[in-house]
Amino acid sequence: MTIPPWLDDFLWTYGNLVHALGVNGLLALSMYVVLAVGQLSLGQAAFMGLGAYSSVLMTQQLGLPFWAVLPLSVLAPVVFALVIGLPTLRLSGVYLAIATIGLGEVLRAVYLNVDLFGGALGLSGIPERADNTMIYGLLLAAILALWLVGRSGIGRAMEAMREDETAAAVMGVNLLRYKMGALVASAALAGLAGCLNAHVSSFIGPGEYGFEPAVTILSYALLGGIGTPIASVVGAFILTLLPELLRELSDLRLVLNGVIIVVAVLFLPGGVLPFRLRRRAA
Amino acid sequence: MNRRHFVAAMAGVMALAGAARAQEPVQLGSIEILSGPNAAYGVAIKAGLELALDEVNAKGVLGGRKINLIVEDSAANKDQAINAARKLIGRDKVVAIIGPTLSNEMFAVGPVANERKIPILGTSTTANGITAMGDYVFRTSLPESDVIPVTLKKAMDRGVKTIALMYANDDAFSKSGYDVMKSAAEKAGLKIVDIESFGSKDSDFSAQLTKIKQLKPDAVGISALVEPVSGVLLAARQLGFGPETLFIGGNGSNSPKLGEIAGKAADGLLVGSPWFVGKPTAVNTKFVADFQKKYSKEPDQFAAQAYDAMKIMAAAIDRAGAAEPAMVRDALMQTKFEGVMGPFSFTTGRDPASAEGVVVLVMQNGKFGIAP
Amino acid sequence: MLAQQLVNGVLLGATYALFALGFTLMFGVLKVINLTYGFYFSAGALVALWLVRTLGFGIWTALPVAAMAAGLIAVVVDWLLLTRLRSAKAPELASLMVTLGAVLALYSALTAWLGSDIRRLPPDVISGEALQIGSVRVTLAQLLILGAVAILIAALIWLLRGTKLGLAIRAMADRPDAAELMGINTLRAAAIVSFISGCLAGAGGVLIGLQRNAIQPYMGEEMMLRGFVVIIVGGLGDIRGAVIAGMLLGLLEVMTAGYVSSNLKEAVAFLVLVVVLWTRPSGLFGRAMTRRA
Repeated sequence: MTIPPWLDDFLWTYGNLVHALGVNGLLALSMYVVLAVGQLSLGQAAFMGLGAYSSVLMTQQLGLPFWAVLPLSVLAPVVFALVIGLPTLRLSGVYLAIATIGLGEVLRAVYLNVDLFGGALGLSGIPERADNTMIYGLLLAAILALWLVGRSGIGRAMEAMREDETAAAVMGVNLLRYKMGALVASAALAGLAGCLNAHVSSFIGPGEYGFEPAVTILSYALLGGIGTPIASVVGAFILTLLPELLRELSDLRLVLNGVIIVVAVLFLPGGVLPFRLRRRAA
Repeated sequence: MNRRHFVAAMAGVMALAGAARAQEPVQLGSIEILSGPNAAYGVAIKAGLELALDEVNAKGVLGGRKINLIVEDSAANKDQAINAARKLIGRDKVVAIIGPTLSNEMFAVGPVANERKIPILGTSTTANGITAMGDYVFRTSLPESDVIPVTLKKAMDRGVKTIALMYANDDAFSKSGYDVMKSAAEKAGLKIVDIESFGSKDSDFSAQLTKIKQLKPDAVGISALVEPVSGVLLAARQLGFGPETLFIGGNGSNSPKLGEIAGKAADGLLVGSPWFVGKPTAVNTKFVADFQKKYSKEPDQFAAQAYDAMKIMAAAIDRAGAAEPAMVRDALMQTKFEGVMGPFSFTTGRDPASAEGVVVLVMQNGKFGIAP
Repeated sequence: MLAQQLVNGVLLGATYALFALGFTLMFGVLKVINLTYGFYFSAGALVALWLVRTLGFGIWTALPVAAMAAGLIAVVVDWLLLTRLRSAKAPELASLMVTLGAVLALYSALTAWLGSDIRRLPPDVISGEALQIGSVRVTLAQLLILGAVAILIAALIWLLRGTKLGLAIRAMADRPDAAELMGINTLRAAAIVSFISGCLAGAGGVLIGLQRNAIQPYMGEEMMLRGFVVIIVGGLGDIRGAVIAGMLLGLLEVMTAGYVSSNLKEAVAFLVLVVVLWTRPSGLFGRAMTRRA
């Protein structure tokens, strides 16, 4: 079967957007995982950067094949999460958010100052190794896994933590273990997203994993809603498509983009899809 | 119908279609930063492109066809720049692209255009390795390695023997300029007494400058965009740097905004430039006057480079004989052009061939003039 | 060189403290992660620029007018965005998100309108003279600004400690529910706190724009990250803590750049932040709280 040229052109034109939708969906899930246990941890962009940089170095310096690089790309972010986890997870609310943002900024300084990471010039000439099958395959697998976890007993404990941490602890939920688990899962998902993104866009730079992307990733999950994994993915889709849909408005498009976020939060407080996971009564 | 007849018939159909299309505009794309904190650069480039476009379209290309320039915003964001490139190539079917604004963006967009064999022409991308990305990636901006040695030579003529270097370490443009500055200074036999960095969004430079002041270098070389350079100069004057220290700027300092922001603090700064507003050639005086008339402000280097780039591109499309990307690419390689920057042609590596046009400017009372 | 570096550090620290004053007040009393704070800072500077350049105001008359304009903007934005969420007792995240959207819209609108070029006040608006004391050099402008910062801090502390309004604000910060029961109109108090914070932000924008001689729409956004560091290290809502933390951060950055490496100047702020949070989770001077959110 051959694809007609117009369809081929169409797919190619929006190829990057299609990649970005999938990758940002994974990032939204990475945010969802921590929000689901009530943790406002904003390290997703930093984890993504670790996944991206480490995977590109594996591809370019070690010459590893992509089937090995992709799973290994979770390694650096997960190790980082384990190291910072203990002291950081004692914090909550704003303090946790700012601490994780601060860690991201420290990593940015490392990328800028260590020659291996290319400094301000970043790493370029990355071969295109990832494709939509991998991106969407992983996205679907992640949604499914999170859905199943959410519907299980673990999910019930997570929800209890989100509603009231102290009460959950009294009920016998091991808070630290759940928080750590969520952080590690979040790091792994973001690392995969970073690896996939790097291997479809030929260039990565130190400015892509700082404060702004951290906040953007948070807005994916919040806009979509944090009741179900699929809702946060929908949020990512909306916010990724918006700037492209509004392209005709040129310099006013970001204004409208912001207004849409404001209106959505004010009038849809539970997100665009304010549902909860259904679970059989215990 | 045998094959020859078929080919002849097809040729006839195509000729007819061609005739019908003759008056259709040629689609040309551009990707620049039009929103967000770095919009000033993209806006200047867009102004230069559109001024040149007015002149080009007065005559038309390929026997009277107009060029339809589609300018897309990248917001200085890698993904949006790639999306813009794909939209221009896939949907608007552009024959070539001018831009994007930053070297970082070009590293992301260059491979996309190259893959589809669409010529892409950077007007402001000075980092190393840009044109090495592929046969379809060009630039008209002179790499810093052609400009800085000229500036340093002028400084040494004035008796400079020791130099301290400062640069913004978080953007590709500034870092790349610094690398060039460092190796050029070493090659010229200057003694580098200190190297200091800052962030491109920083506004406090007192610690670095205090350290440099104590080492008393003859000159301070700065590689950064114009906003931080202005900040460095203002802070230097507050800390008591006098005319005995010569400040030397990289490409980023080459903007009339330096005088607007830093005022007298910028006096005495030397900068090498492929262009300056008072260049006394007929093409340039006309360009500056036209620009003033259309936008009621002075053009900067980015606008001037864009103005030339648009004319180079239009001439190449015309020479190509058809709005076909591959033919435009080959025609670009043949460029021999006399613009506001001076004589222009490409090397086989698709970089500007000659640095002859480089002049060393000195800032005096908020304006650049030729350095004596 | 050490003396000059110490002066540099204090001057930089004063700008951080100045930015953090209103920020920590807004945060500590209204209990909202309001990301629009930086916008009031930019707005103050831009209004002052307009007053001076177009209407011919002197800088010291433009300063209070611009500050009040920024305060009014803060009240309007707070009322439009947060009243609804506040009365619905919506979670912290909702206000974070809503101000995030607002930041995007406000800055983009401002740049679409004015462009992102750097503007400057006329050079003669403030004296360029400098004092040389031994090996240390300070400009008159820097001293004036330092004085203005000290006055603002003193005024704010007097307002909070020495007036009835201050008492109400502090009551709100400590126990919002109890404050309401005691007959404090929390909606009106929220407006007043927004106004004061906005004024402080606006005044900060004017003074810092003056010192750096550069005013542009994103100047407030660029201070936000450092601002967070200062108010967290100082303890949320703690005015004195913010001033001390601002000064310490300024000194630390300058000393790092001067004696270690300027490559680490930016990173050191965040490194300190992380270490402080790891060891003293409610700020360097904060009391230990059971709930730290």
